[in-house]
Amino acid sequence: MARLPKEVRSWIYDFFSKERSAAYLKIDARQCIEAKGGNLGYYGLLSLRTGEPVADQLEIMEGLLPCPELPFHLPMMELPGGRVADLHFFDDSGSVWLLFLDATPERDHQQRLQQKAYEMTLLQERERELNAKLQSTNEALRESQEGLSREYRRAESLLLNILPASIAERLKADEQIADNHAEVSVLFADIVGFTERARSVGAATTIAILNYFFRAADLLSEQYGCEKIKTIGDCVMAVAGLPVARSDHAQAIANYALELREAARRERFAGEALRLRIGIHSGPIVAGVIGKRRFVYDLWGDTVNLAARIQKAAEPDEIRISDATHQLLGPDFACEPLGETELRGTGLVRMWRLPA
Amino acid sequence: MLQKKICMLGGFAVGKTSLVRRFVQSIFSENYLTTVGVKIDKKSVAFPDKTVDLILWDLAGEDDIGSFRVSYVRGATGLVLVVDGTRPATLAVALTLRERVEAEFGAMPFVLLFNKSDLTDRWAIPDGEIDELKQRGWQIYLTSALSGEHVDDAFRQLASMVAK
Repeated sequence: MARLPKEVRSWIYDFFSKERSAAYLKIDARQCIEAKGGNLGYYGLLSLRTGEPVADQLEIMEGLLPCPELPFHLPMMELPGGRVADLHFFDDSGSVWLLFLDATPERDHQQRLQQKAYEMTLLQERERELNAKLQSTNEALRESQEGLSREYRRAESLLLNILPASIAERLKADEQIADNHAEVSVLFADIVGFTERARSVGAATTIAILNYFFRAADLLSEQYGCEKIKTIGDCVMAVAGLPVARSDHAQAIANYALELREAARRERFAGEALRLRIGIHSGPIVAGVIGKRRFVYDLWGDTVNLAARIQKAAEPDEIRISDATHQLLGPDFACEPLGETELRGTGLVRMWRLPA
Repeated sequence: MLQKKICMLGGFAVGKTSLVRRFVQSIFSENYLTTVGVKIDKKSVAFPDKTVDLILWDLAGEDDIGSFRVSYVRGATGLVLVVDGTRPATLAVALTLRERVEAEFGAMPFVLLFNKSDLTDRWAIPDGEIDELKQRGWQIYLTSALSGEHVDDAFRQLASMVAK
């Protein structure tokens, strides 16, 4: 660099030493203050003593010397008195010069800018954090709403499984349900020798068999437009002609009975084919829902009682039907006559057998 | 006289200045005032057999590690790494700053402070992560410059490490 004219150098010197409150220390090889001068008072450093270790008097010097990389610059150091200085270190044959140049206004200016920038960044970070939180809260809310509506659908479908759909609807509308049905066919079916065989095969197999039987009864009832009303032990009670009346209720229940028997024959129970006793009777009944918290849709009347008695009288594998049902079935079903049989509490009853 | 230079390192607004103020003057201010450059404070820590004067260099925090002036750390014998427990990204900043310093001046004792432990509902550092760091044998403290919790413990621990 070209050497500056004396006048310029002199102006720069005056400018710097005045504008930036230049002050200096000279530190010897033993790290004691060898000389001091300039505007040390501005930095609150008037009490520094020459001939004594610098680090003991000026804490910022702790560890800094000897410095292998001179010249060395520490910008914007706030000194104990509150003034801020740029510190410049440069060597001079074993001694080190330490120059103080005021940087207080510059530091304050930078601080104002930096403060704004960091505050803005912090706000943005916080906004992102809150947005993320909001999003996850929304997500959780949506999930719990979905869970709720899943539960509702499940409850509804449970209700539908327990009760015929039209009954469930009326129940939801808070209606009292007790209906007379003039013409329905009622079926009872149970498993031959269930109690004895259950004892021999154990609980798990027994449950599996019952599950198979009741599932078949459920699935077939949908297929043939019947309603499975309930199970009692190993016995299934089903009806056709309910809750919506139909003129072919006897045909529907007969087909249902035939298929149910087939389904049973395909399964084995304790080493033998699963066999059913089935009884059917047709006539008027009363149907209704009883209970307040656990709904039970049930049927009542002589028709129901007689159907149960016919079922008890049936042989293994037999579908036994009353004369009333037989008359409704007509010629499509070639039934075998069983003559009149004495049934407990009813007297002589004419019965028929559905073909095998 | 046993005098040791210690540098406060960490991202911006993690609480370096507040921790020094809490430790040296036992005060806390809610106002955030960013540090530009560096400010020096001093505090004596007394042990049964000696007293250590800690010269605390409170360095400006960074959001851009590239602008960190490693030369400030020359002569330091220990580091206080400060993380904001509500801002997980500041952990990486503190660890990167330590790497920069060690690359320049070699390994030195440090304590790692997860600060703002009073802000429990915004706390964002999983316990498992802290346990994992502890398993490296690191001295870790959950501090609050607001309440003062574990602040003295952390500085005392570092003082005993650098006084050895």
